[in-house]
Amino acid sequence: MASSAQPLTSSATQSAVRAKKLQLLGILSGFTAGAWLGAAEAPTKLVSMGISPIAISLIMVIGVFLARWSLPALILGTSSVRADVRRAPHLIIWAVLAGCLWAVANTLTIFAIRDIGLSMAFPLWNSNSLLGIFWGFLFFNELRQAGWRRWTGVLGGALVMCLGATLLAIASSAQGPAGHSLRGVWAALGAGLLWGTMYIPYRKAYLTGMNPLSFVTFFTFGEVGMMSTLAIGYTGLAPLWQELLSARGVIFWLMLGGFIWVIGDLFQQYAAKYVGISRGIPLSNSNQLWGLLWGIFVFGELHGRSSSTYLQVVGGSLLMMLGVGAVAFSSAPGEEQTRWKEAAQRESERYGVAADYVEARLDGRQAADEAAHARRIWDWLLVAGASAIFVVFAAMARVPQMSLHWCPAALLTGALLLLLFLCTLALWRTTRFN
Amino acid sequence: MSRLVSVLTDVHFWVPVAVLAAGLLLLSLMR
Repeated sequence: MASSAQPLTSSATQSAVRAKKLQLLGILSGFTAGAWLGAAEAPTKLVSMGISPIAISLIMVIGVFLARWSLPALILGTSSVRADVRRAPHLIIWAVLAGCLWAVANTLTIFAIRDIGLSMAFPLWNSNSLLGIFWGFLFFNELRQAGWRRWTGVLGGALVMCLGATLLAIASSAQGPAGHSLRGVWAALGAGLLWGTMYIPYRKAYLTGMNPLSFVTFFTFGEVGMMSTLAIGYTGLAPLWQELLSARGVIFWLMLGGFIWVIGDLFQQYAAKYVGISRGIPLSNSNQLWGLLWGIFVFGELHGRSSSTYLQVVGGSLLMMLGVGAVAFSSAPGEEQTRWKEAAQRESERYGVAADYVEARLDGRQAADEAAHARRIWDWLLVAGASAIFVVFAAMARVPQMSLHWCPAALLTGALLLLLFLCTLALWRTTRFN
Repeated sequence: MSRLVSVLTDVHFWVPVAVLAAGLLLLSLMR
């Protein structure tokens, strides 16, 4: 009896250790996502010429599109994406749907900022984390049997982060809103609703075993398709083209912002995969804190502002950090993870995806029957093509005339690269980017 | 085909679709 029970215990211990590792990996991915998503704002701050917000969004999305194809090709190769799609082709629909949701939400934020200002709009759409917790609980068994301490940590942490975000947004608001209009409030709430709901397809994909690198390559078709439709619908094809031509001196900076954003989003996807959307979204919402660090220390945005503004910044930052800490220390216990596996099993049965594949991918491994994927010549061509487009626009780019504080910029860049290195290494060692 | 039916009969699919439609409607009212 004792000899048969021993391997079982050992296997259960290994499984628990593996689950703990994946939780830590998800939390690290969430932190890294916040840092890179926040830094994506930096290149866009270099653009001060009068081009419309819709055109700015479209150019950023084009940069995003290039990055979303070239990075997966570079990291795993497109053969891995094809293999994933063969196993779960229905996820293409989910990915395109999520991309459409993102594009409409992003456009709504433009109207929200215009009508009620960033200080009111940001906390309203940041409520997406609360909606993410709700969808995660309702559809994917997240936080089920998690115990009141975890519930308090996640929900309380998200609420504290929303409060911190409000203070930071008030402090960082450069000017008052154009007018407190109900329309702007609806736009901001609408953006939060769309972004919070966008995580349903994310979680769906990862519970079915899809690799985040595969998901984003199809997500971007929805993103760029919907954004182009909206831009043409709002501006008209000819005026939009003229606007893009006149903006060619700044296209590089906007595309660079999109590229940096994709790096952050990739880590956000891994966070959603390994800690679920209820924890992954609040962690990556710490991007506001990082954006503010760039704004204050590199671009001198709050220079000469009153002491109460600085007090708001310090208070808001502390609240954000407190909220992030509360969420990070509320990792899913074994009972909750068993419920996640039940949700994954439901998806596997519904869509006819092999159970061993789903189980292996949830565990951050390749399934036993999966072939090793290698990069091929077209992967390198894809990477070279995307890089060449960036180089062409970089050659056209005008260096903006503005004073930057280079020392903090170097420190923040160093912190970003360190997080990138640590998280990439951890992802590679633990999951081989699965 | 059966996978498409599985998607179309999945309530998880219609929630984001409804939210997307609401977002597009809201956007059209913004103009």
